[in-house]
Amino acid sequence: MTTLLDYDKLFVTRDYVGKPLRRNEDEKFVKGEAVYVDDIDMDCAHVAILRSIFPHARLKKIDTSKAEKLKGVLAVITGPEVVAQTKSVPPRAIAKPLKQYVMAGDKIRYLGEPIAAVVAEDRYIAEDALELIEVEYEPLQGVTRIEEALKPGAPLLFEENGSNDLLHDTMTHGDIDKAFKDADLVLKEKFSVHRYSSTPLENWAMIARHDKGNGSFTMWANDQQPGRSVANISAVMGVPMNKLRLIVPESGGGFGIKLAIWPYMVILCLLAKKVDKPIKWVQTRREHLLGGTHAPDCTVDMEMALKKDGTVLGISVIDKENDGSFIHTAGIYSLIKFATLVGCYQIRASRMELVSVAANKGPTVQNRGVGKPTAIFTLERMMDIAAKKLGLDPVEIRRKNFVQPEQMPYTTPSGEVYESGNYPATLDKALKMADYEGLRKMQAEARKQGRHIGIGMSTGVEPGTSNLGYYYTSSGIPEYMGSGEGAMVAVDYDGNISAMIGSVDTGQGHATTIAQVISDMLGTTPAHISVDNTLDSFVSPSIGHSGSYSNKFNDVDLGAVIRATEKVRDKMLLIAAHILKAPLSEMRFVPGGTAIAVKGDDKRQMSFKDIAGYAYKRITMLPDDMEPGLKEIAFYRNKAAKMPNKDNFNVQLTHSNSAHIVVAEVDAESGFVKILKYVIVHDCGNQINPGIVDGMAIGSTVHGLGATFLEEFVYDDNGQLLATTFMDYLKPVAAGLPHIELGHMHSPCPTTMLGTKSAGEGGAIGSLAAVAGAVEDALTPFGVKITSLPLTPEKIMNAILRTKVI
Amino acid sequence: MQLVNITINGKAFEHEVEPRLLLVHYIREKAQLTGTHVGCDTGNCGACTVVYNGKLIKSCLMLAVQADGSEILTIEGMSQQDPEKQKNGLHPIQDAFLEKFGFQCGYCTPGMVLNTHTLLKSNPNPSEHEIREALEGNLCMCTGYQQIIESIQYAAEKMKAGK
Repeated sequence: MTTLLDYDKLFVTRDYVGKPLRRNEDEKFVKGEAVYVDDIDMDCAHVAILRSIFPHARLKKIDTSKAEKLKGVLAVITGPEVVAQTKSVPPRAIAKPLKQYVMAGDKIRYLGEPIAAVVAEDRYIAEDALELIEVEYEPLQGVTRIEEALKPGAPLLFEENGSNDLLHDTMTHGDIDKAFKDADLVLKEKFSVHRYSSTPLENWAMIARHDKGNGSFTMWANDQQPGRSVANISAVMGVPMNKLRLIVPESGGGFGIKLAIWPYMVILCLLAKKVDKPIKWVQTRREHLLGGTHAPDCTVDMEMALKKDGTVLGISVIDKENDGSFIHTAGIYSLIKFATLVGCYQIRASRMELVSVAANKGPTVQNRGVGKPTAIFTLERMMDIAAKKLGLDPVEIRRKNFVQPEQMPYTTPSGEVYESGNYPATLDKALKMADYEGLRKMQAEARKQGRHIGIGMSTGVEPGTSNLGYYYTSSGIPEYMGSGEGAMVAVDYDGNISAMIGSVDTGQGHATTIAQVISDMLGTTPAHISVDNTLDSFVSPSIGHSGSYSNKFNDVDLGAVIRATEKVRDKMLLIAAHILKAPLSEMRFVPGGTAIAVKGDDKRQMSFKDIAGYAYKRITMLPDDMEPGLKEIAFYRNKAAKMPNKDNFNVQLTHSNSAHIVVAEVDAESGFVKILKYVIVHDCGNQINPGIVDGMAIGSTVHGLGATFLEEFVYDDNGQLLATTFMDYLKPVAAGLPHIELGHMHSPCPTTMLGTKSAGEGGAIGSLAAVAGAVEDALTPFGVKITSLPLTPEKIMNAILRTKVI
Repeated sequence: MQLVNITINGKAFEHEVEPRLLLVHYIREKAQLTGTHVGCDTGNCGACTVVYNGKLIKSCLMLAVQADGSEILTIEGMSQQDPEKQKNGLHPIQDAFLEKFGFQCGYCTPGMVLNTHTLLKSNPNPSEHEIREALEGNLCMCTGYQQIIESIQYAAEKMKAGK
């Protein structure tokens, strides 16, 4: 077995790992030949879903008789029928025994909640049929804001709960009372961040087919977390997992937003039982924005205890997340914030009171960064505010508090372990790339000319690989713990290699990255390797954690690929030694040769094809104790995961870091902001494919820019959503975005096989604070303070002219 | 039902369709060319971009019956464009998107490639600013556009060099 990070032992060649290899396996995407769920051709009938027009209501009566009579309609299902046939949705974090079903049967909790579904010969007819369903509602007073939802007497989402408080806990780590007693300065701020989402370009899509012969179901869906989805469907429907086959083809983006699409798969399976053909549902964008899951809006009350010199002694946070209406994922945003609660800093005491709030807004599920964007936004805003108060440069206060490289691995008060990294050097490099001193001079000059230019920065931790056990820190023994993945690697009869993992790809180029690793491990080339990204729950080596989330791919997914390749490699060496009659210790992979040779005697060698021929065909010639075949499965877990314990837990298992420097100009007449410069230096340890990593760093940053300036799910006070198309839920376009300058640091992670750390979410975490800092700095002449997002021109003008606070 | 004749990628299609059928659904379901995608239903995202009588359009904003008698280019037709410049089954624009990591999930890519093809025909040497302006009707949720812009710049260079 190879030890962690022992590249010499692991790799026969170093031709591919670490290089920006083209995604040649993914030519289909540029040719329009990729097959997404909606492209699967199998003569489907089509589903349309009737959604509540009220955000909070009781479903009094639902009459589908007219819809059923419409020509072309095959079947209809209603909420009450679904409730009668299913169990309640299982919660991941909250411990209260609340009931909620995949379709509303009685109580409706958000605008757009499904109450019936129709399957018809085509989608046009199915939509026509929805118009014919007669629904009698009893509208209820709704509640959307955190403060109002928590007031006594507020309308209740779950009456049986007695309040809208779904999870409420306080965790203290370190001597927080002493920190505040010893402080020279205590700062208090109330922050709020709005509701937004990363909105993958492909909406949710799924097909379900029922096999009446054996009572099984086959589903095709763009699911991001198949390991958990099949288990959830099984639990809710009461159908064993071996009768539920899930196939995930190409997926048009995920960002967390496709992690919990399984409730709709339940609806489809129930409908599929009623008809004799496969049925397909493709979500419209309006449906996606209504209930295709959001990141919660939140309020954060933060107190920071500081010494005069800028040293931060402790922070105390009250974090309230508006988790909307979905008990499955309620509570997890606050808990995940522990991964980056104290950021890059040596803050030795923390207290966090966390509250998950139910309100009449759409379901929340993990969106890119999951709580960490708002955690870093509030912490970094507080650092800027503290610097201003103490007359320090924002760079200075950060340098004063950084965890130092010699302290690595560093454990935070709550137990998070930062494996590696050089936070001061990361910031220094970014300052140098941006020419910070030159920028300050330019800013001063510009100010003389009446231009409002500001410089902002953030230094943050970007965690990866979720240790799932933390979800239950408040409620006993977790069902899921740690992080792991499976992989299968085979050398086929003809000497070519095939591989698959238990997870899915949502655009990260897994096939190329996996091929790079296997190529260098076996001394072959990616041209000989085929990686199948399709997940099939009956075939793929999945575990409960399987899925594409929390930046786990380059940790545990590649860990599993390496372990499976090692098994194949070891078996190939045994076969070659046996057939060539040479000692095992003398056998070597030929670099770039797709062959194994006897050391010092290249004439005595066997190609992979020859070796595979013995493994699969000439099996009587194998060593007596050897099984035939050259196909190996391995499962891998990151052993840094701690057991759940409220005093000492790690939420995530890798910790990248970055520094963002932003220069922004505000037009004080219109409130519009232009980004003049954007510099990122990030450290995600070793990189397998820098071309792919760059794309993630830039793409995730643009997600943050969209959230900061444009995107917001605006609800009225009763729960009507006012942004249901891309005309009112605005996404960033190429025009107007800055060219992002990217610099790299490489602090290998000692606890992952390849020294890699998280690479996919970073920019979505660090960008909010850096941009807000730049805008606030630009507005210094007006004395404006930023404690909330988004930064719309309207809010900026209002702050300049009146409120002085955004 | 109404009879429509539409030429897509040089091939003539003829179908009886309902007047309300969207062109994008005609292309995907009747012509069975699924490289054209649906992302937003309101003409904002550009996943359904096709070239209609030489002009870029959003095929979710047009009815199939309105496109009767038209010539359409979809992503699948890129293999016949600029035949002298095709290499290994790829048009230089497609090759550039691979070379410069101009896609991640690939869902926006057909629209991006067709947009680039149209842009470079009218402006073979676009500046970064012109490229950003040209991409305004095509959303990409993955890349933040930067590597798409690099792909287009690379494609422009290769197309010029190939002349």
